[in-house]
Amino acid sequence: MAGKPKLAFYWAASCGGCEITITELGMRLIDVGDLVDIVFWPAAMDFKYDDVAAMKDKEIDICFYNGAIRNSENEHVAKMLRAKSKLLVAFGSCSHLGGIPGLANLFDVETMLQRVFDTAPTLDESRGTRPQMKNKMPEGEIEIPKLYERVRTLAQTVEVDYFLPGCPPVVDQVWNVFQTILAGKLPAKGSVIGAAEKTNCDVCTRKKGASGMRIKEFKRPHQVQLDPEMCFLTQGVVCLGPVTRAGCGLPCLNGNMPCRGCYGPPEGVVDQGSKLVSAVASLVDTDDPKVLEKILEGIVDPVGLGYRFGLAASILSDLKYGKKGA
Amino acid sequence: MEAEHPMTFADQVRAIPGGEHLEMCFSCGTCVSKCMIQQKLEPEYNPRRLLRMVMMDMREEAFKSPTTWLCSTCDLCYPACPQEIHISGVIGAVKSLAVEAGYTSPLETVSVDETLCSGCGICVMTCPYEAPHLIEKEVNGVMDRFSEVDKDKCMGCGMCVAACPMGAIARPGVSNPELVNQIKIKKHKDAPSLVVFICDWSLRADDDLTILESYPENVRVIHIPCSGRIDPQMALIALRSGIDGVLVCGCAPGECHYQRGTYVSACKISLLDSMLGQMDLADGRVRFVQLGTQDRGRIRHEIDGMLAGLQREAA
Repeated sequence: MAGKPKLAFYWAASCGGCEITITELGMRLIDVGDLVDIVFWPAAMDFKYDDVAAMKDKEIDICFYNGAIRNSENEHVAKMLRAKSKLLVAFGSCSHLGGIPGLANLFDVETMLQRVFDTAPTLDESRGTRPQMKNKMPEGEIEIPKLYERVRTLAQTVEVDYFLPGCPPVVDQVWNVFQTILAGKLPAKGSVIGAAEKTNCDVCTRKKGASGMRIKEFKRPHQVQLDPEMCFLTQGVVCLGPVTRAGCGLPCLNGNMPCRGCYGPPEGVVDQGSKLVSAVASLVDTDDPKVLEKILEGIVDPVGLGYRFGLAASILSDLKYGKKGA
Repeated sequence: MEAEHPMTFADQVRAIPGGEHLEMCFSCGTCVSKCMIQQKLEPEYNPRRLLRMVMMDMREEAFKSPTTWLCSTCDLCYPACPQEIHISGVIGAVKSLAVEAGYTSPLETVSVDETLCSGCGICVMTCPYEAPHLIEKEVNGVMDRFSEVDKDKCMGCGMCVAACPMGAIARPGVSNPELVNQIKIKKHKDAPSLVVFICDWSLRADDDLTILESYPENVRVIHIPCSGRIDPQMALIALRSGIDGVLVCGCAPGECHYQRGTYVSACKISLLDSMLGQMDLADGRVRFVQLGTQDRGRIRHEIDGMLAGLQREAA
């Protein structure tokens, strides 16, 4: 590559947390500026899509793409950036697994639009008004992107070279990955980078469950005084640590909250939520079907619990929309 | 001074918690008539004889007997015993003496792949037999935590294989890749396809096995040691591969050969069904049925019923 490597950041269906992670690099951002040329970063700098469209294929060296594919704009830019980038990295949970926006796969688009524009409590008089796909303005006709039925991950849309997980990815991992890429020391294409292969339990120092410790009642974190020394599962609180890739440094657990699973499943696990069910159900302790029913009532939202960050990438979404997806 | 008598085999068994009711046995054999192992797996299996062997100081014979090793403490015999002997407790006492004497279990047991194990302890909490435990040891200069399985306690039910989030635990014949490889069906144009995961203990009669063999290729029967071995991820993989339904068969409540498997499985399938329901996908494509001692032949109705339901759903 002649001169400094060219770097692009893009956000699609995401909250902006990934962008904030970049700013958390702090003084290291100055080094970033020294090491690379930022050629596209809509959240922070004034670039237009036309600027990218005008680039030659593979002109961008590294593209960090955060956000899920929720609408036609997300897809269009993903395809454009794929063509223009040598290295496309799915940055953060949303592009990796669908993230929080992926939970929209629980509902069809019409149900959601009804909720948002028609029935949600609001002080706004505009209740019942829906945005129109096309609008005539003095400058001409403008279009808004089409909302898709299925939220997809980046890899379900275009070929992805690497995955950097996390909601958001922790800043030190981002920095490590950045340096790894610049040093050209990347692992095999398609790998998850900036994270470990085993699960959070591998690095968690809480006291683990012993023989015979089982769950008689599921509790949510706000319903119990949590012991900061003990494994959450031994306290009846579902923690996604056992089905989540290590690498975050356990900020949630250190704050005495169970893991929510944002780093996605560990190496070798296909479907995070169903694997959670397999693990957690194995700990339930009763020999009475009625009690079992009662215990299971403690898990009020199994999909939201097991697939909080991974529903778009899950087999459940594949089943709902057909493997290729709508 | 009173002379010290050397402890007899029976004394030793009695000294171990669980073994104390040994001499109450009057050899009626009711336990044998209740035992699934005797009926399905090993004709030589006989708790009545084992208890006699202990009383008659037949140490070596008792240690070599399959009865010592195969009892899974399902305790179907316990409520039937007129003397209210907790027979599995006595057998357990004999087994612990056998282990002390250097004998080992003849069963297929599980093993842990340390390169995968994260040391989460879920297998430890899952196992009905306290077979796995966590150990700490140094790997490449760093202390790490792993699960280790006591082969003599493991009964090979496979519940931990399903529970392990990393797929680090395997048992020959029922490891994850081996089961997934069996989920292959030749689809028929007009008939729905069904995978049946069936706990071998839940089939109480040879007739039931014949029934299972009578189905054409659109029904794939996969034998598992316990319904607790079922992994919901596997059911989803089956459905995604185009298979229309997954039926899991386990034992009736209270009849599980491995104590907790039937509840563990019920819990897994119930949660999986809830998740499918949340996605508007719960249309009877995943079911769990519990087959009891009185349910000979019911398996045919369950499979036919599910196929008919899937056919209706497809229409």
